[in-house]
Amino acid sequence: MMLMIEFSSLIAGAVLLLLLMAVATKGWMASRQLQEPAPVPSEEDATEPCPEEFVSRIFSRADWEFVRGLRAGSIERLFQHERKKVALVWVRQNSAMVRKVIREHAEAARQSKNLEFSTEINILAQFLTLMAVCGTLSVAIRIAGPLWLGGLAHFAQRLSQQVTKLQESFEVGALEKARGAGPA
Amino acid sequence: MLSQSIWWSSIALEVFLLTRGVCGRLIFRYPVFYAYIFFVLSQSILRSFIHRWNEQLYSSVYWTTEFLALILGCWIVFEIYRLALAAYPGTAKMARKILLLLFVLALAKAAAALWSDPHLLTDTTALQIERALRTVQAISIVALVTVFASYSIPFGRNLRGILLGYGLFVAERVICLTFVSGAGRDFWFYAYSASYLVALSLWLGHLWSYQIIPEAESSVQLEREYQMVAAATQRRLQETRGYLRKAVRS
Repeated sequence: MMLMIEFSSLIAGAVLLLLLMAVATKGWMASRQLQEPAPVPSEEDATEPCPEEFVSRIFSRADWEFVRGLRAGSIERLFQHERKKVALVWVRQNSAMVRKVIREHAEAARQSKNLEFSTEINILAQFLTLMAVCGTLSVAIRIAGPLWLGGLAHFAQRLSQQVTKLQESFEVGALEKARGAGPA
Repeated sequence: MLSQSIWWSSIALEVFLLTRGVCGRLIFRYPVFYAYIFFVLSQSILRSFIHRWNEQLYSSVYWTTEFLALILGCWIVFEIYRLALAAYPGTAKMARKILLLLFVLALAKAAAALWSDPHLLTDTTALQIERALRTVQAISIVALVTVFASYSIPFGRNLRGILLGYGLFVAERVICLTFVSGAGRDFWFYAYSASYLVALSLWLGHLWSYQIIPEAESSVQLEREYQMVAAATQRRLQETRGYLRKAVRS
């Protein structure tokens, strides 16, 4: 019991130490940025989503099939490399957009007298889920590439549809069985 | 020798900090913080006298003043909360709810521990009680700093210094108290004493002169109802979620 308390104390102390160091570093960097001229906006500063026709091609295999048809190894490698870079930029843009939404919400909510604890927790959970999705997407793109990810998403969708169909047919069967077993 | 130099350095820094507080009239802006520094200075001198003249009394005086300083420290955290969130009622409400939840959890944990072991109070040393209380204090500061960071609460240099210094002091204390043996003078004994020096240096740097706390920017959104703001945020987050899903499946 005492050992557990000692361990939790150590964790609490270490978390506080790290958090304060992060806050101090952030404050120091913010004060430096105020002194220096504003940097050129990067791709992560984009606040509007990419056009849909552009995004739909990032994870699509159509372009890949075309490039593979050319039977040129160097072009295939270049295509994969470039597509991966574009996909990562897209994920970073989305992540920045989510952070901007939360920042704007925090700025509006912090002065509101009728703020609701449960709604804030709900928004925080949604934010964390989205950030986790962006993180997972980023890792998956780095490891396997956007084309494989698109294929996996299709597979998962098909699997989910099959499960839904199976469930529906099972429910229909169970309902008919129940009707058959009931009084005539 | 090392503990003597730590003791004298602390006294010198405390006197310097109090002098700067009086000269810069910071003492009127942050009365609880300066009361704490004055208390710690007085307790150090008192303990030194007691140690010299009546060693038998030293242990009880040490622990009484230590727990009084801990209570005053909690008051500092409350002062940071009050000053930083005066213009942000929404964030203040959120912080209150989270702190209340944490205190209820800490009380429930203590009650459960007492229930399972009735001799716990008699078997526990003052050092272990201090560690438990400092841990609760550390968790409360973590929660408060997280709320401040989440809602981008602007701090003045002075208030940031008080929070950073006291937070670092509590964090170092909690870590040192986990390892300090209570008997003998090892590394953790000196680290425990020196942790306060680090906090004092930070305070001196941040509280050299009065710096105004940045005021809340009044925005158009201030006039809008919270429900509308929250609903708009949730809608935007759900849209992003749908957009991500649709893009990957395209």
